[in-house]
Amino acid sequence: MADKYLVQPDIDFINKVRANGGESLKKCFQCATCSVACPIAPDRKPFPRKEMIAASWGLKDKLLCSPDIWLCHNCGDCSTLCPRGAKPGDVMASLRMMAINEYATPKSVANAVNDRKKLPLLIALPAIVFIVLGLILKMLGINWLNFSPERIHGEIAHAQFFSTWLVDLVFIPLSIWAVAVFALGLKRFIADMHKNAVAEGKTDKETIDVKGFLSALVRVIPQILKHNKFSECSENNDRATPHMMVLFSFIGLLIVTGVFFITLYVFGIHGPYSQLNPIKILANISGIALIIGAALLIRQRMNKPDEVSTYKDWYLLWLVLGLGVTGMLAELTRLADAAFLTYLIYFIHLMLVFHLIAFLPFSKLAHLVYRTVAMAYNEYSGREAKKA
Amino acid sequence: MSKKYGVYICKGCGIGDALDIEAICDVVEEEALPCKTHDFLCSQQGVDFIKKDIEEEGTNTLVIAACSRRVNYNTFKFDGCIVERVNLREGVVWSHPRDAFPMLTEEEKEDENNFDRVQMMAEDYVRMGMARVEKVKLPEPYLLETMSKKILVMGGGITGMSAALDAAAAGYEVTIVEKEDKLGGNALKWRKQLPLQPPYENLIPPMVADKIKAVENNPKIDIYTGNVVARIAGQPGDFTVTFKKPGEKIEFDVPYPLPPEMRVDENGKELEHEALMEKYKEYNEGRRDILTLDPNGEHFGAVILAAGWRPYQPRDDEFPHLGWGASPDVVTNYQFEEMAASGKITRPSDGKEAKSVVFIQSPGAGDDADFPYTGVVTSMVALKQAQYVREDYPDGKAYIFYEHMRTSGLNENFYKAAQQDSGIFMSKGEITEVKKNGNGLAVSAKDTLLGENIGVSADLVVLGTGMLPVTYDDPTVNLAYRQGPGFRDNDLFDKYADSNFICFPYETQRTGIYAAGSVRRALSVEESMEDASGAALKAIQCLESVNRGVAVHPRSGDMTFPDFFFQRCTQCKRCTDECPFGAIDDDEKGTPKPNPTRCRRCGTCMGACPERIINFADYSIDSIGSQVKSIVVPSEDDYDEPPFRILGLVCENDAYPALDILGMHKKSFSADVRLIPVRCLGSVNVIWIKDALSQGMDGVFLLGCKHGDDYQCHFVKGSELASIRMQKIGDALSSLALEEERVAQFEVAIDDYDKIPEIINGFVEQVEELGPNPFKGF
Ligand code: SF4
Ligand code: SF4
Ligand code: SF4
Ligand code: SF4
Repeated sequence: MADKYLVQPDIDFINKVRANGGESLKKCFQCATCSVACPIAPDRKPFPRKEMIAASWGLKDKLLCSPDIWLCHNCGDCSTLCPRGAKPGDVMASLRMMAINEYATPKSVANAVNDRKKLPLLIALPAIVFIVLGLILKMLGINWLNFSPERIHGEIAHAQFFSTWLVDLVFIPLSIWAVAVFALGLKRFIADMHKNAVAEGKTDKETIDVKGFLSALVRVIPQILKHNKFSECSENNDRATPHMMVLFSFIGLLIVTGVFFITLYVFGIHGPYSQLNPIKILANISGIALIIGAALLIRQRMNKPDEVSTYKDWYLLWLVLGLGVTGMLAELTRLADAAFLTYLIYFIHLMLVFHLIAFLPFSKLAHLVYRTVAMAYNEYSGREAKKA
Repeated sequence: MSKKYGVYICKGCGIGDALDIEAICDVVEEEALPCKTHDFLCSQQGVDFIKKDIEEEGTNTLVIAACSRRVNYNTFKFDGCIVERVNLREGVVWSHPRDAFPMLTEEEKEDENNFDRVQMMAEDYVRMGMARVEKVKLPEPYLLETMSKKILVMGGGITGMSAALDAAAAGYEVTIVEKEDKLGGNALKWRKQLPLQPPYENLIPPMVADKIKAVENNPKIDIYTGNVVARIAGQPGDFTVTFKKPGEKIEFDVPYPLPPEMRVDENGKELEHEALMEKYKEYNEGRRDILTLDPNGEHFGAVILAAGWRPYQPRDDEFPHLGWGASPDVVTNYQFEEMAASGKITRPSDGKEAKSVVFIQSPGAGDDADFPYTGVVTSMVALKQAQYVREDYPDGKAYIFYEHMRTSGLNENFYKAAQQDSGIFMSKGEITEVKKNGNGLAVSAKDTLLGENIGVSADLVVLGTGMLPVTYDDPTVNLAYRQGPGFRDNDLFDKYADSNFICFPYETQRTGIYAAGSVRRALSVEESMEDASGAALKAIQCLESVNRGVAVHPRSGDMTFPDFFFQRCTQCKRCTDECPFGAIDDDEKGTPKPNPTRCRRCGTCMGACPERIINFADYSIDSIGSQVKSIVVPSEDDYDEPPFRILGLVCENDAYPALDILGMHKKSFSADVRLIPVRCLGSVNVIWIKDALSQGMDGVFLLGCKHGDDYQCHFVKGSELASIRMQKIGDALSSLALEEERVAQFEVAIDDYDKIPEIINGFVEQVEELGPNPFKGF
């Protein structure tokens, strides 16, 4: 007899997939309507039917390393058409969260990020870090945290409250941590993904050659930016534009932060900047786009009671909205000269940024990285895409 | 009854436009019978027109030439009158429209050599109608001298108890006979039971105890536990039943007919009657003949056979690839249920917890059939038993591999609910191997929904084996019938007590014996209870027909029955042998003893009797024979080119309705055929065919139901027996120097109306090629 795969169902895994938004998964009776309906699934070994049975059999080893769960953009076409009321789109989303959890270390952080009950702790953490660090430094005579900040040329400057030094003292190591966590996760992820693809006949490639992989990455990035895949879906089509707004505003804000970082540390120029500065204009546009995009996404989720929205979805969306709102409000209150309010809001903004960076590899936002890598891998693997 | 005739011709529905009604009246008047016409006979005025004659003239024998007898039945039913319906509408004018069969023009009528085929057809049918009424009588019911209305229920399981309760609720006295010492049957051995009512999602506690209580408390129900039926003698309404302890040998044990090998001498020649009787007595030493009634027997009117099933136990070498026989940890679903009912699920080999259980629904080995004797119920049982594994162990895993997951009706909900369990895994798939693997088992499957060959480690493997009907092992009903104690040819139904599970689910091949539950096919409790109601109603229908002297089924309400003119009987035993329902017993001399309430009025005995001494009041050798003889067969003396005449004997169950449908669809066939409806092709006596041919008709065909293993014959064997007789008639024809091809039999189903023109026209062409019958004109 040919090779056989020894199934080892993991009941705990099934229960977790169900609890994380995939409750409907056991309704599937394997008709494969979903795989036919999916606008994104490739012809060769299409998803999500096979994911549905693997999930209902608790085959964790087959699923979490599969690139396919990342190729899915949760457009929901499959869920709408499933004759049994199983929601493969939601199951795929749940699997993605499980995969992020699986590849992120340490596990305790991952679990905390995804646990509603740990939210107060998570909120308290950055505040404690900043204040404790600020106070310790104060004891050492370094005054980076100032509760009665002075004005610079009569204007409010947030840096007078939290010194940029203090902010960066926290955020730079935090960013390095995020990158490290990702790096560790991706190393395993890519290796597992390839092993799975070989075992399931999704690729003809035997090994991963770095050059080929990188050039595949270069090829998929424009697709991602253009949201090509997203707009192939019909059911959640309206999500494409706000999602794009959020993505681009993040990119915009990343550029802004980078430029400010360089001007500060290389040229020693401090903020606040003039509103007419092109970088400042980019920052403001991005901030507004972020707020609108996040608000729209929240509204769309709320209007879709059929689709499962979990704590993780809400956590990320509210975080993004919060980032945008506090960022813009901090600026507006500063310009309005409301000292106490603006410092308070700025403080909250900093806490949210802490969340964004620190928990990035553990939260749903990590899809940015995993999906990009999985799409690049798929492109690299030579598994042909379905023609429209 | 002295007959006063009246012939009524309807001119409605296009009849009057297509036919020369006056000419038809001339035909009637040639016979010196009164002929009346009416524009719409089925209207109130039309009916009153006939009634007036009945009341004022004393007309009591009516020939109504109008529509098919299958329509307006009640309109043209007149109490105390013989009514013959001549089918001019569907049979003549609708199926032979004038655009295809034009009337003769005035000019053509001048020439004596021209004739109008459709007109000839109508005139013949009217002649045939008149011929028939002359020969038939009004039936009188056959009434039993003593009649019992008690119902015997064989089997005290769920089905039997349900049937008893249903029949008792309808007011009938019931006796349950159960071979075990207590009621309940297999249902006593279950941990849980499949759902019985909406939402059909959850297992329920077994309800057998409640049923037992209900039966025990019902004053209309007698219970004989620890008893079996030794014999059932007599006929519906008057069965004499002898009970005995299981295994006991008593003089009223039912005797068996001689097996075929004992009926012949060394040279393979059938023994003489006396020698046969000798051997029969020897063979049944110690048992009384079927005709001897047990003076201590109990009387019943009808029997419900709910004797149930036993688990299918595979032979030791039957499923080696499934590990059956090699490991004690491979068990049947029945063994698994017993284990589950008595405690936690463990491995028989070492008593350890069985937390991973594989349920196999199909033996595989290249075949996608389920295990033998299974059905919807075994799929449902797998879903049930998988839940036991989960009940016993929170980390337990139950795998179901199936080729078919059958959950009928709302039981789909049960499947859906079971599927929700995180620890139940299902896939279509073929099991390729089960082998030992340390202390457990390794199961391999291919063609699974996972898309690859897979392996599962199991503690226990459960085979979804089937439920064997008790009739698999022995006749069970033990009928004291000459044809034998069980149901004949039951191999066709894999030994299930059945005769046609689609059309007549409860009717066995023996009138008055109604099967229900798993003796009929593998059923769940819910289905068995529904079955029980069905069979109980049938038993009641039987009692309420027998008491009025009418047939139960399928000719429900028919008051006629076969009447034997014994003086001329040659004791050939053909009727006894050929009756599909074992209605006729014969005595020691071989003289038939009819049992009219067993009879279904098919007429097969009438078709079989070489002496032609079996007849019904309204259907006889003579009545059909006279119809045949009344058909005018034109010869060269009449016309230069006389038309052919072909007789069709048409089964009235499916073929005749199909012909009516054909007429309604205005499809046509040759106008040279004359059709006569018969009760069943089995009732066709070859004398009619011989008569037809010797009077110059050119061919004869029989049109009836499919026969063979997947028969559709309403009387089970009628069309098959007809085909055997047709083969034999071939020899007789060649001795008359007539071609065998002049006689044929065709099969049609009720929905085959569109094929009939081709069948009939094809036969007509075949006969035309043979040329006219040389006897024509003699
Ligand atoms: S459409 Fe629904 S039932 Fe069909 S395979 Fe997909 S998830 Fe399963
Ligand atoms: S959610 Fe959309 S992309 Fe994902 S599997 Fe379903 S149809 Fe495909
Ligand atoms: S052959 Fe038919 S008509 Fe004759 S006894 Fe049997 S059931 Fe009755
Ligand atoms: S078939 Fe006719 S002749 Fe023969 S036993 Fe029966 S009744 Fe007598």
